[in-house]
Amino acid sequence: MESHDGPGHPAAEVASGEAASAMSAVSASRSWLADRVIAPGWFHLAFGLLAGGAIAEAEIRNWALFGWSVAAYTAGCCALSWWNQRRVGLTMQYFDCRTRAVFAGHVVTLSGLIAVACWAGLDRGIHGAFLAAGALAVPLTVVSGRWTDKLLRARLRTRR
Amino acid sequence: MSAPARFDEIVHAPNRLQICAILSAVSSADFGIVREALGVADSVLSKHIRVLHEAGYVDVHKSTCASRVRTSMSMTPAGRAAYDGHLSALQAIVGNEGFRPGARRGDGLALSPGQEGTPVSA
Repeated sequence: MESHDGPGHPAAEVASGEAASAMSAVSASRSWLADRVIAPGWFHLAFGLLAGGAIAEAEIRNWALFGWSVAAYTAGCCALSWWNQRRVGLTMQYFDCRTRAVFAGHVVTLSGLIAVACWAGLDRGIHGAFLAAGALAVPLTVVSGRWTDKLLRARLRTRR
Repeated sequence: MSAPARFDEIVHAPNRLQICAILSAVSSADFGIVREALGVADSVLSKHIRVLHEAGYVDVHKSTCASRVRTSMSMTPAGRAAYDGHLSALQAIVGNEGFRPGARRGDGLALSPGQEGTPVSA
């Protein structure tokens, strides 16, 4: 790649002050971008309610209905993601090693929660096990989502 | 790992530097978002995007959604390389308290044969 020190740019003398202000403009743009990707307060709550609803619905013990609730959860997640992408006006790589680790941790936690609910509800016959698991899934999802947002913002601010 | 320092006049223009800063962090960005970030008119942004596009630094995509044309932009690998190199050059300048691009020896900066490094007085 050639540099472009063309004749229209008189010797392109660049003082450190000008370079510093250019760097600061880059930082400002990155900060603006990082603030732009902040999801509204209800966004992660909506994800949590979808997950919690799908888990809590298993309390009815109707597996056809449970299948529909899982389908509704999947469709809801896709719709929320699509809406957020349209709102932000950006497509980006959300997952790096850190956010992927948070997401994996969240999936493992929810899976553990469901496993415990299955053991308590189906094996031991404890009523309300799935309801409790569903209720717990909501704050867990919100925390995980906000943590991911925080990591994403930090990455946008610091990445060159 | 930082890119080799390479001062790039195309990238250096203030609005284009901001465009590159945004596009380098994302896969693609809508025209309207970039315009909002820069706070400039459509025509001004279009002009800068055309310069970057003609340099091979930015790709422009148009899609139609609900009878509305949506324009989005993304940075090409060449654009990313130029932007990274330019940032490295800026960092070197800040570290060296001024220089003539392409003229200072050392620091990994681009060299032009026969030129002497000349610090710029503040």
